[in-house]
Amino acid sequence: MAKTRPEETIIAHGVRVEGDFKSQGDVLIEGEVAGNVQTAGDLRVGTDAKIHADVTAKNATVAGEIRGDVQVAGRLELLESAKMIGDVTADVLSVGAGALVNGKITMDGREVKMPKTKEEPESEE
Amino acid sequence: MYYYVYDEFVQDPKFERDLSLIETRLTDLGIAGKIARLALFRDARELIRDEIRKGAKSVVAVGNDATLRKVIDAATDQDVVVGCIPLGKEGNAIAGILGMPYGVDACDVLSARIIEEIDLGSVNAQKFLNAVVFPAVGNATISFDENFTITPYRKCTIEIRNLAVPADDVRAADPTDGRLEVVVRVPQRSLFGKKVATTVVPATRIAVKSEKNTAAIADGEVFEGTDFVFESLPRQLRVITGKGRKF
Repeated sequence: MAKTRPEETIIAHGVRVEGDFKSQGDVLIEGEVAGNVQTAGDLRVGTDAKIHADVTAKNATVAGEIRGDVQVAGRLELLESAKMIGDVTADVLSVGAGALVNGKITMDGREVKMPKTKEEPESEE
Repeated sequence: MYYYVYDEFVQDPKFERDLSLIETRLTDLGIAGKIARLALFRDARELIRDEIRKGAKSVVAVGNDATLRKVIDAATDQDVVVGCIPLGKEGNAIAGILGMPYGVDACDVLSARIIEEIDLGSVNAQKFLNAVVFPAVGNATISFDENFTITPYRKCTIEIRNLAVPADDVRAADPTDGRLEVVVRVPQRSLFGKKVATTVVPATRIAVKSEKNTAAIADGEVFEGTDFVFESLPRQLRVITGKGRKF
């Protein structure tokens, strides 16, 4: 995986995350996650990562395994080692040779509900 | 009105020249003030609080990080600005982060009065400025804002940071973002030797629960327990900083 940028939440090898994981910034996952993952920023999933969760992100690059539905507002990039089991919604999809996808792929431009960022307070509606 | 708190160790004759230069420079800059000298059986908190009640608006720690912590402990929730003049060879990490130069050079920075409002952290209601470190903790669970938990697979180091310098594996902790930063370092064995995998998660409310009694070091003070609750306390302290501050 590329070198981490500042402001990034990092879930490294050697830890397991359980529950509703929400972030407002960019996230790098290289460990195990079970539950839900939501980020208003970009998500990167490392080669050895194992995610058993529904995932929502602005953009995502996946090299590891995700078992769950994935919704990406922008670009979803599946690298050669990616393994996806679940439905995928994305605006732009890139699939590397060898990537595994088992699920329904939807690219009809539907809006993905993102977690609110700090600068964008929740409206009353 | 300035109030200068001299730590016990700076009253050693080897600091006589430094103190003389500092006092002269403070007078030249027009920011000289009352001086308190800490001693073994003198309650620093009471001494400082008493002077704040009498009208001190700026309290300056003359010494090291331990001196600054005593001042911060007394100045929290009070309408005062905190500053420091670092002296002594060791234990001036906080001053470095705040951008305060050593000794007499700090006087000009104090005079420039670049004031920042910074957060504090609390652990089981005890406040801290820098960080709380669990040097070796096994079978621990970390809960974040009551939403999710992180469980390290093996014995690891956990650090809850409010204000800290960058390290090789982690960026500087910003004490003005209203959040604490949890750093979990788990040792990994690989073909190429030992490595450390570093997890970094920002949060406002954190709980660390360990099965066994665990030692934690909060800003240099050691305490023990099994349950620790951390909270970020935003904009609790006004501090004088230099241009070289690290946040």
